[in-house]
Amino acid sequence: MPLYTTDALILRTYQLGEADRIVVFLTRDKGKKRGVANGARRLRSRFVGGLEPLTVVRLAYYERESRDLVRLNYADPVQSPMRMRNGVSLGYVEYFAELLDECSPDADPNATLFRLGAAVVDALAAEVPVERLARYFEYWVLRLQGVYPPLLLCQRCGQKSKGGGRLDPGNGGFSCLACADKRGVLLSAEALRFLRDAAGVPPEGLSRIGLSIGAGLQLESAHQQLITSHLEKELKASKILRAMSRES
Amino acid sequence: MSEIEPLVRLTEELTKLPSIGNKSAQRLAFYILKQPRESVEQLCDAIRNVKDRISYCSVCSNITDRDPCFYCTDDSRDPRLMCVVEDPHNVEGIEKTKDFRGVYHVLMGALSPLKGVGPDDLNVRSLLERVGAGEIAEVILATNPNVEGEATAIYLAKLLKPLGVRVSRIAMGVPVGSDLEYADEVTMLKAIEGRHEV
Ligand SMILES: [Zn+2]
Ligand SMILES: [Zn+2]
Repeated sequence: MPLYTTDALILRTYQLGEADRIVVFLTRDKGKKRGVANGARRLRSRFVGGLEPLTVVRLAYYERESRDLVRLNYADPVQSPMRMRNGVSLGYVEYFAELLDECSPDADPNATLFRLGAAVVDALAAEVPVERLARYFEYWVLRLQGVYPPLLLCQRCGQKSKGGGRLDPGNGGFSCLACADKRGVLLSAEALRFLRDAAGVPPEGLSRIGLSIGAGLQLESAHQQLITSHLEKELKASKILRAMSRES
Repeated sequence: MSEIEPLVRLTEELTKLPSIGNKSAQRLAFYILKQPRESVEQLCDAIRNVKDRISYCSVCSNITDRDPCFYCTDDSRDPRLMCVVEDPHNVEGIEKTKDFRGVYHVLMGALSPLKGVGPDDLNVRSLLERVGAGEIAEVILATNPNVEGEATAIYLAKLLKPLGVRVSRIAMGVPVGSDLEYADEVTMLKAIEGRHEV
């Protein structure tokens, strides 16, 4: 049984029996994997602290012949979202993890997706405003999936859009205000500006790029539509996040 | 031999129990078969009793065999101090410390976006109603020290503070990512003593 050592991002875990966990993780170089962490539910387990969603770990595992599940040897945390001092963003941790999980097919190496995820965890720990971070993360995940429509050019008249437009995922993409019908999500000039500026910086740079509540909501609903039409389902975590923000 | 219908059925039922595989289930089924009738009746009776006699406390949602539960009706406990936990087994863990003399509120889980568990799936509304009634002065949030437990504590703190109570979070004397179910008394005691206001 060969032992592999790699950087990885924990996506989620499931209980297995009394003491073990099944761990879904995104590796830097071998794509998404599933493995068993023996004894992970025990208090003095060597895995304690390393298996929470979105923990960046140095991880070693044994590949097992003719089995889908690898066996985890260790998972040492390098960066953890639990490091946040103010924890309001913690509700987003599992949303980010679910989005990554849904957008990474098994064993399909995608180093860029891994780097994006790890950078977003750093940004969470650095207290970058979480709504901006969420819109940025969705933008990049969707772009890496090849489903983010180009936003600068109107798909109908081919002109550069200055005053905003509408995004209609089911209907070809982005149209300038002059060409768009009433369908699709309105994206103001400010929302477009945020995407343009944000796309060019690492996530930690988002602290310096403003996003008003209104423009943030426009992007949120545009991205939710893109995600839902791409994955053909709504993410569980987005529903829960909505319920959580409704009451607080 | 495993084709004998009643044995197959019992084995199947036992396999549904946590950490019982097919082999263990078969072993248990044969063991039960060999037992005298009275002890099998006793086992059946005990199992049925759990469902018949145990329910959830209408005040704190803990499991109980009478309503309101033992903790909610014990006059020697301080009704101004409340400890919020995820599950009934957490109540037992805190009771073992013999240090906490307040009352409880059991959420029946933690917020979990990944599993689709939201505020409406937990006993949040009844918590807010209890605290809103005015008698409680401090709420200790003793959810698990993992992402879900922390997110739940932060969410609840935001809802509870406007009600004019002191809200505190247990100290992380317990390792991050662990389950309070497995914490020993000393660790649990330290966690409650070292709580901080949030
Ligand atoms: Zn146009
Ligand atoms: Zn009670």
